[in-house]
Amino acid sequence: MAALKTEIIIETRALCYSYAGAEEVPPAVAGIDLKVSRGEYLALLGVNGSGKTTLLKLLNALLIPSQGEVLVKGISTVEAERVQLVRQACGMIFQNPDNQIVATTVEEDIAFGLENMALPAAEIRRRVDQVAGRLGLTHLLRQPPHLLSGGEKQRTAIAGILAMQPACILMDEPTAMLDPAGRRDVLETVKELNKTEALAVVHVTHNPAEAAEANRIVVLEQGRIVADGKPGEILTDLKLLHGLKLQGTVAAELAHLLRQRGLNLPTAILQNRELVESLCISEPVS
Amino acid sequence: MYIGTSKLTHTYWPGTPFAADALKNISFSVGQGTFTLLIGPSGSGKTTLIQHLNGLLKPSAGEVYFDGKKIGPDKAALLALRRRVGLVFQMPEDQFFSETVFDEIAYAPRNLGLDEKKVEERVNRAVAQVGLERSRLLDRHPFQLSAGQKRRVAIASVLSLEPEVLILDEPAAGLDPEGKGNLLNLLSSLNRAGKITIMVSTHHLDEIAALADNLVVLNEGGLVMSGKTKEILARGAELKELGLALPQVTGIMHELAARGLPVSTDIYSLSAACDEILQAKRADQR
Ligand SMILES: Nc1ncnc2c1ncn2[C@@H]1O[C@H](COP(=O)(O)OP(=O)(O)OP(=O)(O)O)[C@@H](O)[C@H]1O
Ligand SMILES: Nc1ncnc2c1ncn2[C@@H]1O[C@H](COP(=O)(O)OP(=O)(O)OP(=O)(O)O)[C@@H](O)[C@H]1O
Ligand SMILES: [Mg+2]
Ligand SMILES: [Mg+2]
Repeated sequence: MAALKTEIIIETRALCYSYAGAEEVPPAVAGIDLKVSRGEYLALLGVNGSGKTTLLKLLNALLIPSQGEVLVKGISTVEAERVQLVRQACGMIFQNPDNQIVATTVEEDIAFGLENMALPAAEIRRRVDQVAGRLGLTHLLRQPPHLLSGGEKQRTAIAGILAMQPACILMDEPTAMLDPAGRRDVLETVKELNKTEALAVVHVTHNPAEAAEANRIVVLEQGRIVADGKPGEILTDLKLLHGLKLQGTVAAELAHLLRQRGLNLPTAILQNRELVESLCISEPVS
Repeated sequence: MYIGTSKLTHTYWPGTPFAADALKNISFSVGQGTFTLLIGPSGSGKTTLIQHLNGLLKPSAGEVYFDGKKIGPDKAALLALRRRVGLVFQMPEDQFFSETVFDEIAYAPRNLGLDEKKVEERVNRAVAQVGLERSRLLDRHPFQLSAGQKRRVAIASVLSLEPEVLILDEPAAGLDPEGKGNLLNLLSSLNRAGKITIMVSTHHLDEIAALADNLVVLNEGGLVMSGKTKEILARGAELKELGLALPQVTGIMHELAARGLPVSTDIYSLSAACDEILQAKRADQR
């Protein structure tokens, strides 16, 4: 099993991308070497315009590298005739659930990618039912997607990707349009699959609390990787984050303010309960 | 009544099998110069309500008011309304129609008949207000931008109108931490110093609740709560029932209070939380 753990799903080598017509400005992705392994949950952070979406689209063969290469399960994304395989291995979820629903019922929408894979009807049926059960969509299969809540739409989009049994799911701010309950639904579902099926996850987010749930954090700045480590290291290093115009979790930021005002608190505070614990035992103000 | 509705009902696709009441009998009003938050689960009707306040939808029943007058079907009156009430759409793409970012932001001031020098001044100011001043994006097509850059352009193109009422539908979605912080500072100063009436729909109450006078809560098209921010946020259990969440710091304050630290729980921002905790700690010491 140890060998499985380090199975590389995605590998980029000196990856660069410039948008057409924007050649004079710095490239959107400017030399990225990244490996994502089976079972890894990677959160991708960075300010607006730092290259996160561009990187995800490169990993999914929606964009083709200007320089360098992307290998998905060993297949280069420039091999046009194998693009379908890349997209099956590595599916993408976008910010807005409305933009990715294509069919007239939830069921057809989930089956859409499977139809393209030309699977037998019985196999399609089996996979749709299985994934719908797993994501709590069984009772909604015959609904038109426009009647669903944002969280349900986003889970439908995820179901369509998972039905293809990918090795990796790429999520670009998947919860930005969701309410707190929908957000929890989506994240718990993905986390569960990450644990039980070793699904690799690359999750772009501006929310430090979501990033704290990952097991690795990569930070981009102007198309380059400027930090790569565990959430406990990166999200508590407020000097690093503030220097990159990012923020830590609410608990980390509050602990930081309190420390500046003379309160004696440990530096490794990440979660609310850690802050509450420390405040209830910590020494009074000096 | 400055802005509000009386028994407003909105039915999408009336008379078809898809007919759905997105708003049911909504009556509410906000005073000039106030800051109001509109919250509710996905699909509760926030966007539908906001579009009525800008005259983009026609009531199925009931009335919508602005500045004491009923918003009617008269074209000229609707145009006049839209010069005074600026609306930032939930999806920036839904708002864009110009060929360049500059023209997009210049549209409103040009439409007001300002000369090109004044137009340029307004564009520059709006661009700086959303933090895009050094970005060299003004000549690009609005679609050739990252998600957060699009959001900033969408906000700037309404700021350049300098409306007396600013309505923003989920404006922080996609913004990085600095962008969010700047947006809140901007809204706060427009409201406090500029006396601009502000209404924001959002799923995230962190920090912004500290700026708001009033909260309006929708659920399944009905108005379920409305009142002073503090009164509504004191009803945390009911909000949770609806799938909504209190600001994160408020949650921390509740936990601290439960552990016996003498803190107020009406706290919605990091800075207020910091002051409150320090005060409680000092009181503890005595
Ligand atoms: N279609 C496009 N044409 C030209 N330039 C683009 C296009 N899309 C993005 N860019 C530019 O490429 C850079 C990286 O954009 P990208 O969308 O990858 O950023 P991001 O990290 O996802 O940002 P955000 O947090 O705002 O979504 C930005 O400077 C952006 O302006
Ligand atoms: N153009 C439309 N046609 C038919 N139904 C619609 C349309 N727009 C919205 N609805 C429905 O009306 C209801 C209210 O939608 P609305 O967009 O106002 O909700 P919301 O509170 O803004 O949700 P969110 O938080 O997801 O943005 C939902 O049930 C939605 O599916
Ligand atoms: Mg992006
Ligand atoms: Mg909405």
